Amino acid sequence: MINAIKYSRFLNSIAEEIDISPSKYQDAVNRYEAVGLWLERGDYEEFSDELTIYPQGSFRLGTVVRPIKNGFESSYDIDLVCELPMDKEIVAPRLVKSIVGDRIKEHGIYRQLLQEEGKRCWTLEYAEEDGIGFHLDILPAVPNPLTNADASIAITNKRDFSYSWSASNPKGYGVWFDNKNRSAFEFVLHEQKQSIQARSPDIFLRVEDVPNQLVRTPLQRAIQLMKRHRDVYFDDRHSNEYSPISIVITTLAGHFYRSELDTFTALSNIVDRLHAHAELIANQSINSTSPIKRTQDGKWYIGNPVNSNENFAERWHEDNHARAIAFFTWIDALNRDLVEIIKETRSEDIRKILSTSLGIAIATAHFELIVPVRSENIEVPKIHIPHAAKPWRV
Amino acid sequence: MEDELLNQIKELQCVHDGLILVRKSASETVLSGILNFEASVDGYETISSRFEIDLIVPIDYPETLPCVRETSKKIDSNYDHINSDGTLCLAIPIEERRVFSEQPSLLGFINRLLIPYCYGYCYWKKYQIHPFGEAEHGFKGIVHFYMNSLQLKDEVSVLSVISYLYEHGYRGHHRCPCGSDQIVRKCHGKLLRSLIEQHSTHTLENDFLSILIYCSEKNEREVIKIPERLHRQILRILQTAQKQCR
Repeated sequence: MINAIKYSRFLNSIAEEIDISPSKYQDAVNRYEAVGLWLERGDYEEFSDELTIYPQGSFRLGTVVRPIKNGFESSYDIDLVCELPMDKEIVAPRLVKSIVGDRIKEHGIYRQLLQEEGKRCWTLEYAEEDGIGFHLDILPAVPNPLTNADASIAITNKRDFSYSWSASNPKGYGVWFDNKNRSAFEFVLHEQKQSIQARSPDIFLRVEDVPNQLVRTPLQRAIQLMKRHRDVYFDDRHSNEYSPISIVITTLAGHFYRSELDTFTALSNIVDRLHAHAELIANQSINSTSPIKRTQDGKWYIGNPVNSNENFAERWHEDNHARAIAFFTWIDALNRDLVEIIKETRSEDIRKILSTSLGIAIATAHFELIVPVRSENIEVPKIHIPHAAKPWRV
Repeated sequence: MEDELLNQIKELQCVHDGLILVRKSASETVLSGILNFEASVDGYETISSRFEIDLIVPIDYPETLPCVRETSKKIDSNYDHINSDGTLCLAIPIEERRVFSEQPSLLGFINRLLIPYCYGYCYWKKYQIHPFGEAEHGFKGIVHFYMNSLQLKDEVSVLSVISYLYEHGYRGHHRCPCGSDQIVRKCHGKLLRSLIEQHSTHTLENDFLSILIYCSEKNEREVIKIPERLHRQILRILQTAQKQCR
């Protein structure tokens, strides 16, 4: 048995490790604010009001995870919305996309960092000196309010050579997520800021200087761990094209989180509640209150909590429900690897399960929190030295 | 290389299972922990000991070899074979690479380079004698390593050989740079070929520059005389390098 308190601390350390560090966060903010300023200062003929730039996605939600590719850590993804003050009804999506792209290309450095045009965004790739770079995805958009005070936007969608609009509401989603997070956030706020400031006194002079965006609740930690487990789980699997997208994980975790105040309890409850939905694959029983639903025609529905017209699971029935099956198979593995493991008694097995499911480099660095680190070997390796180099000094 | 590195770490941990903490960053992978060993050397006593180390494996390993820090302050700070950055100075770089090439893996690195170093330290601590000898410090150590291992007659020959290797690599039919009138193949061929195989571009360049600086300084003081032809060759090499930089 692993002690639950120690295990929760271990999970926090892992999450912290895959999270963005305070100094990297500051770098990222500086980078995107510079890009934002550049975009704001453009000389645009098409509109006269100010455009606005804001982060969305995991960077906004505080659920950033350093991606893992082919077994090793890679660059952070940061998503920014660039909202132009233009009327969706009279402007073409192609123009919106190109206004932003053209302005980026006017800047000598950004032009060099700019990648090939993406489906929805423009991507700047920053290769940083320490090797931990960023992908800055800039998403051109225009306001598309459904009601008066609504922050919905329309984003552009490029398919072959034609462009269309898609609906999105990152601000609204952010508010929904903040609400799920609120009570735990208030609870951990002060203690976490203190500890962040104490660890990075050169970045944050005072506790008040630590931005809220660096505080993590057990919900955010649980989401980070789920995303990391997913990344490792699907990294070398053939089914990785069916790997659950982050917004599905974040949305469901948000729905199933009950303001638990430690990471292990939060994660285990979320996983439990998700696990209970695996039955949906076999019988198509429809529970009208659950966030995961089967529709009359056998399809799947996980609604965007701020726009029920958007279905995050719209492709789950394709290929014989491959995404749904992949999702619940993964939840099963997640339950075994990160929740049930607490019942495991042999430290060798604990070591093995955690390092294969979270990444060897990251998990081994924190084992001492849960299992005793062996300091003495029973058998000392015997080495014969046939000949040796002479020691030297520069 | 990434899978290969993981395999090498696993192989290493099978033997030295105290090295369990693995941290990976963008520029390196660090294995930390305890190294226990019982080492025997023919003609010397068997020594058992225990060191706490960080084994720092650079991202371009094995192009660049790992370096090691001893983390429990077991090694006296005034011990002569610790670099100013705190890493252990296991051997002259090319000798380190030669020994590594006999068993090119992390396990080989530990067993053939680090453990002999630790053994040497323990022995020295007890008897104030280096069981395997010690290389002279700095550039002089490098020059003398070439002189001894290639059996060259003087420092100018070392400069000639390293300049040749740096400019041409191995060419069997050329005149041997050692100054004999034979072709390379019939003279230092075997030794030069293995040197080239063991060097990386970086270490070869480093040795060339180290030997050049050492010899130039002696040449200025007129302790040695760099012959005109070698002098012109070196100028040519430096000019080419400068052009490549541009």
